[in-house]
Amino acid sequence: MLLKSVNYVRPESVTEALDILSSNEGAAPLAGGQSLTNVLKHRVASVDLLVDISALSELRAITRAGDGSLEVGACVTYDEIDHSPDVRAGHVILAREASHIEDQQIRNRGTIGGNCCLSDPTNNLPPLLVALDATMNIRAVGGTRHVAAEDFFKGYFLTALEPGELLVSITIPPIPVGGGAGYVSLSVATDSKTIVRAAARVRVDGVIEEVRVVLARVASVPIRHHAMEEALRGVAPTAELVRAAAELIGSDVEPISDGHGSSEYRREMARVVARRAVLAAIEEGGRK
Amino acid sequence: MSATSRSKAATRERVESWTGKSVPRKEDGRLVQGEGSFIDDLGMHGQGYAWFVRSPYAHARIVSVDPSAALALEGVYAVLTGEEAREMCVVPFFQIAPGDGARIEEWPLAVDKVRYQGDAVAVVLADSRDTARDAAELVEVEYEPLAVVVDGVEAVEHAAPVLHEKAGTNVAWHGVYDYGDIDFALEHADHVIKIDRLHFHRFSSTPLECNGAVVDWDKGSGVIDVKSNIQMPMFAAMVIGPSLGVAMNKFSFSSRDIGGAFGNKIAFYPQIAALALLSKKAGRPAKWTEYRTEHMLSSTHGNERTFLDIEVPVMADGTILGVKARAVDDVGAYLHYEPLGAVIWSQVLTGCYKFKNVKIDFTTALTNKCPVAPNRGYSRMQQLWMLERVIDIVAHELDFDPVALRKLNFVQPEDYPYQTPNGCVYDSGNLPLSLDMALELADVDTWRRRQSEMGTGTGKRIGIGIGSTLDSGTNNFGQARIVNPDLPFSGNGEAAFAKLDLYGEVNINLGTTPQGQSHETTSAQVAADILNMSPNDVTVTIGFDQSHNSFVGFSGTYASQFAVTGLGAVMGATAKLRDEILEVGAFALGAPKDDLELRDGACLVKGDPSRSIPFIGIANLIYTNNAVLPSELSSKIDLNCRYVYVPPFEVPDVERKMGNLTLTYASQIHVCVVEVDEETGVVEILSYVAVDDCGKRINPQIVEGQVHGAVGLGIGAALYEAFEYDEDGQLQEPSFYEYHAGTAMDIPDIRTGNIESPSPFTPNGAKGMGEGGGAAVHTICSALQDALGKDGAVVFDSHNPWERVYQLLQSSQGDEPRGVRVISREGGAA
Ligand SMILES: Cc1cc2nc3c(=O)[nH]c(=O)nc-3n(C[C@H](O)[C@H](O)[C@H](O)COP(=O)(O)OP(=O)(O)OC[C@H]3O[C@@H](n4cnc5c(N)ncnc54)[C@H](O)[C@@H]3O)c2cc1C
Repeated sequence: MLLKSVNYVRPESVTEALDILSSNEGAAPLAGGQSLTNVLKHRVASVDLLVDISALSELRAITRAGDGSLEVGACVTYDEIDHSPDVRAGHVILAREASHIEDQQIRNRGTIGGNCCLSDPTNNLPPLLVALDATMNIRAVGGTRHVAAEDFFKGYFLTALEPGELLVSITIPPIPVGGGAGYVSLSVATDSKTIVRAAARVRVDGVIEEVRVVLARVASVPIRHHAMEEALRGVAPTAELVRAAAELIGSDVEPISDGHGSSEYRREMARVVARRAVLAAIEEGGRK
Repeated sequence: MSATSRSKAATRERVESWTGKSVPRKEDGRLVQGEGSFIDDLGMHGQGYAWFVRSPYAHARIVSVDPSAALALEGVYAVLTGEEAREMCVVPFFQIAPGDGARIEEWPLAVDKVRYQGDAVAVVLADSRDTARDAAELVEVEYEPLAVVVDGVEAVEHAAPVLHEKAGTNVAWHGVYDYGDIDFALEHADHVIKIDRLHFHRFSSTPLECNGAVVDWDKGSGVIDVKSNIQMPMFAAMVIGPSLGVAMNKFSFSSRDIGGAFGNKIAFYPQIAALALLSKKAGRPAKWTEYRTEHMLSSTHGNERTFLDIEVPVMADGTILGVKARAVDDVGAYLHYEPLGAVIWSQVLTGCYKFKNVKIDFTTALTNKCPVAPNRGYSRMQQLWMLERVIDIVAHELDFDPVALRKLNFVQPEDYPYQTPNGCVYDSGNLPLSLDMALELADVDTWRRRQSEMGTGTGKRIGIGIGSTLDSGTNNFGQARIVNPDLPFSGNGEAAFAKLDLYGEVNINLGTTPQGQSHETTSAQVAADILNMSPNDVTVTIGFDQSHNSFVGFSGTYASQFAVTGLGAVMGATAKLRDEILEVGAFALGAPKDDLELRDGACLVKGDPSRSIPFIGIANLIYTNNAVLPSELSSKIDLNCRYVYVPPFEVPDVERKMGNLTLTYASQIHVCVVEVDEETGVVEILSYVAVDDCGKRINPQIVEGQVHGAVGLGIGAALYEAFEYDEDGQLQEPSFYEYHAGTAMDIPDIRTGNIESPSPFTPNGAKGMGEGGGAAVHTICSALQDALGKDGAVVFDSHNPWERVYQLLQSSQGDEPRGVRVISREGGAA
């Protein structure tokens, strides 16, 4: 069969979903199915029981708190993020990037939770969430725990989730006054495979007070470039200083080579996209 | 409601001539509403579903193939292995190649050895596609991997593993094309430009619809019924018929709508042969719908060509005297249609230019890669690209204006018909005017100003590129003899039937297999003009059917020829039909034939419309009321008129490799403006213009559609699309995840212009133009060269993804060897 035969359940609640997941070893959550069904089709993973969580209303809310922080349910689709006034109110960059993921069909079904739980190094949202200092809210039968996005991505197709756990939502703190975010991808062509990308968040108050620089496609997971961040902290937000800081991206990153780019090219381009992302973040902060 | 009636209202008006009008496409009604019949929509009673077992290795000995586990799976009807297929065949496939190449043995499935990743070793038939796929996984094949060669030059020039032991060499064909006196020119020119290497990369046109077929070897009649989307069915029949031991009249090929082909669908006859044998073995029809990754691995790729040791003699005023080079064509693991590519390029030996001295040493090389087959611009595009690179490199190195250099060396309007050094005849054209039009449409003067204002430090560069190219159409198959003098081929042709049916309906059918070229529409247009009626009332049979369409051995849709051969046949057949209608009308109306005319489906006396007979009346007299006719009429006229259009060709001179190899030469002059990001190598197209001259345009909108498609494919090839193999012969781009085909978001708006220089050699002044000569590939490379600027690096590859552009920008700054040298003769102006 194209898809090997597999059992399917559609639980009524997160509690029920967790029960099923924890009591069935071969069970896996099914969200938008845009990756999981492909994985099954190519027979690189086998699942006995698909637990369809995509319609659970508990996982489908977007809420903007009084402090401006945003909580996005794990099963909110890219298209819903793109069109959400709450997202656009304080986190335009999330809406913008969600609107660029592949094509409309995929945006209609793919979810923010699935995008993260897959931990595919080419996925768009993980580096952004790390840069935005998001928190991943995780539930299991036994209770809830919170993991910083930075600690969530563990490797190729590997996350901090334990068997039986569900990512239920993602909390993104407000982008502070004087702050902004930037996201720059170098792709093979328009909205296509990414060669290398960077996401950044900064807060400027005369000098750069806070900064996060995250690189993707240079390692199996999004990585913060601490040396570049360090060089930027406390300095004036000028193009020259940002350029100098980006030059620190060097042999400490060892990207893969593939048909879309050699390791050397990726490393050099990481400097370019990191600089551009930081400059975009500074510019956005300045506009507010 | 039929597609025809949907568009009726729009075109009910009376017009002088339907030819030349952008009549809405007859095909669109069904196609845009999802009502087309593509290969996967077709089936046969009792069919099973086939799935091929394909090699994961690029080169390996097949130790054993064990189908027992697959056969044990419920729902599996049969498994056919390579060895069994060989036993069921009489001889291997017919080879076009002479000498060593002729000894290559290809069977429907691989026997003893696999020679590329994706080579088929067995095929499974089961009750569903999914079961077949599961079963294919259970076929146990033991391989013993062998050393691999993936580079064409290495395959023939170094001690590389030999793919076909019986041939004993990886050189499938070799020949020298030598005209004029290139060595004299090189000795006496003011300058000689030497270019070490230019590389035209491997890519394809990735049609939306992959290959597919439903094949039934009917036991009772012995007829092999092949419903498929193969685009040159009679060629397929010629190749596989002798292997299967069946006569031509035991094949019944048919096709309906085809979702893109681009030449790629000429060459999947091994799959059809395997399916025929599978059907014979299983006693039921076998249906196969190719999977995308299967298509990319094992269908076909375009020719990859490396040009080495290029030398170009140039005079001080910029006159180019000729070109000398070695060309190594990497055609992959088997010869599918090849080595015809080894001669077809010579249709455009000198491209748009007038030089007289050419020497190309041409080798067809076998490698452990997917076999190539024609791909839009087949074999000529590679040569044309090389020539355009040469022109730009000459301009770049000797500081000529690329526009002026082209104009100086172009074949001039007054030169037509122009004979090339190898005897080809360029029929008509106006290249300088086309170039001027393209430059003006692109507003190149403004861009040149912006380019110089931009200056350094902005991180951006502008490049302006020109691609001058030819689309040679209507092959003289006699050129095959230049490759193999023993081949009994020459000329070309197409056949059509025009008939009046029982109720007076006008019906046309012909031997072509359209894949988006709108044959129904344009055939109806030209027939409507001859019969003086609306094209809406002319029915053109959809697709091809060997059992009732008319055809000849060359039938099919390929090589930019329909407007000439296909429409030539339709015009001839319709003119015959018109004559028959008038003859019957003369009897019925009691008036001399010369006093009659046809109008809107009736035959009438000129000036006296009250005396008329509708087509249904004419049909009635012939089909159902013939006793009222005098016998000399009823015995002569049947209202079924066949015509074969035969272009005026002679057999080429095989020794001297001389002859008129194609009938028409459409030209395409493209201009584009790109912006290059110095930091990343990213290329953005700011402006794109295409000026086309394909003689008389039958339907301008259809021409424009073909131009758009060719531009899209060319841009995709130049910037995104490549099939690359690693050293183990593993394809790096086996799906659309890795192979980025340009999409609507990548292709800029295209401004088009046109000139009509009617061909004096064709029945309607038209020239074939569908392939497009790869203009966009040349143009993008030319723009990149311009962006690299003076002293910049040389664009040496037809594929320039960002990283390569970035490297070119980097190497421009250093003084590493650039792969180009200029040798100037003393006394020659530098
Ligand atoms: C042709 C194509 C191109 C694509 N290109 C891109 C691209 O360029 N960029 C990009 O970012 N993405 C791309 N994607 C992937 C797409 O974004 C997927 O939607 C995404 O990777 C997975 O999200 P999903 O909701 O579809 O999850 P699923 O496919 O349903 O699940 C993915 C994985 O996450 C697990 N999972 C899902 N939700 C949860 C949860 N709440 N808790 C725990 N585990 C969970 C599943 O069990 C599964 O292992 C592409 C997909 C396709 C088909």
